[in-house]
Amino acid sequence: MGALATTLEKAWTPHTLERIPSLRYLVGNDFSLCYQCGLCTGSCRSAYAMKYTPRQVMNLLQLGRVDEAVASGSGLLCTACFSCTFRCPRGVAITDLMGAIQRLSLAEKHADPHIQRFYRAFMRTVERHGRFHEIEFLVRYYALNPLRLRDELRVGLTLLTKGKIVLKAPKVKSQKGIAAMFRKAAQIEGRP
Amino acid sequence: MRYVYYPGCSASGTSKEAEESLQAAMGALGVEWTELEDWNCCGAAIAIGTSYLLSVALPARNLALAERAESDLVTGCSRCFLNLIRAIHYTHENASVHEKVNELLAETGVQYSGKARLRHLLDVIVNDIGLDVVAERVTQPLDGLRVAPYYGCCQGMWTYAQFDSVEDPHCFDQLLATLGAQVVDYPLKTACCGGTLSMSRRSVGAKLIGDLLAAAGDADCIVTACPLCLFNLNSFQREAGRIKGTHFNIPVLFLTQMMGMAFGLPKKALGLQRNAVPVDGLYKKIAAGATVSSGAASASRPK
Repeated sequence: MGALATTLEKAWTPHTLERIPSLRYLVGNDFSLCYQCGLCTGSCRSAYAMKYTPRQVMNLLQLGRVDEAVASGSGLLCTACFSCTFRCPRGVAITDLMGAIQRLSLAEKHADPHIQRFYRAFMRTVERHGRFHEIEFLVRYYALNPLRLRDELRVGLTLLTKGKIVLKAPKVKSQKGIAAMFRKAAQIEGRP
Repeated sequence: MRYVYYPGCSASGTSKEAEESLQAAMGALGVEWTELEDWNCCGAAIAIGTSYLLSVALPARNLALAERAESDLVTGCSRCFLNLIRAIHYTHENASVHEKVNELLAETGVQYSGKARLRHLLDVIVNDIGLDVVAERVTQPLDGLRVAPYYGCCQGMWTYAQFDSVEDPHCFDQLLATLGAQVVDYPLKTACCGGTLSMSRRSVGAKLIGDLLAAAGDADCIVTACPLCLFNLNSFQREAGRIKGTHFNIPVLFLTQMMGMAFGLPKKALGLQRNAVPVDGLYKKIAAGATVSSGAASASRPK
């Protein structure tokens, strides 16, 4: 019991809690229950491209080595499909923990600038309109990214010729309220 | 039957054909669909990378709107379904999440009580409308068409809605068989398509899509139950082919497009001209299949 108790103690260092504030809202079990079976990694389609697989990320968290998990950027490859969470025999909220690591990687700029722009552009568009708006997203994402725009031209042209790019911005009546939700969330979560 | 439904951003834009065909197919079945008033984006797989509370509160606002409309909420998008069911589950399990979510929702003048019920389109078609009613409406059976059913990864729907097996669902297979199609074994039917990775990390996204396209083998088409998968599997076949060292050209349809084809609805009403990979070849195959099995057509239709 001695060794396990030490591990659990380490897992919940004040540092970990401070780094992952959403741990207090977690639904499901925290990482200390993980017994490293690897079912999460076996279920993860993007694990092959991660520096640390979901199982390894859970292990890093148990060891209190949150910073390494964050710096690896592995969370950014999570597609939030929840396969790992549904299958975990220990009920660990793996996807939400990967999400927390992902948020830290983005906030601390461990991601490629274009990936950070991708997230920012998407959320800013939803904040402004309440819904996704392709044109505004594309402008926000690619304006500073002309090299990637060249890669996307084929897909963009197909969408355009098939009449799937809506020019008019979506109209949500509560758009102002939704923008206020974004501000309130940032305030509660202590984000800039 | 009357339903309030949540289209989601994908079906309203880059996968417009999903929305058009859904309206057409449901109309043909005599089901009334009303769009959820003033709905907002569920946050897709992106909100979770920005804010934990928003990733729960954005879908929860739509549930609150459904409560106000005093109706069950139906969605035909698996990604949206997963986010919505997650919001239901999390607010139910954790009182402080529920409280914070309502604190955010107060900004838009609504509150979520936890009463809203969520349904997936497939669940409604198979269990409410019923396969017998669908079968009666089939005028152009998809004879000879080999179809791969792609349920998509968002297994939350299977886990929580409890209307099918989590790991090996079959309701979609049954629906397609009812339309007269020959359903092929599709081992990756619940594997994730990569979602937004196709945009944010192309090399990884295209590989995941390539695996799915390759697994369909010699099927004539893939049918999806999610507009986001529909966009991914249709739009990135060239990139996926480059990574897999092959050339993909397989039509990918939304489930209500396939239903509409079997119902004999006009192509345009089903948005079939919008699919990135042309679907015209499928009509020829159906016509050929119908000639072959003309004598035994009614016998080959599953009941």
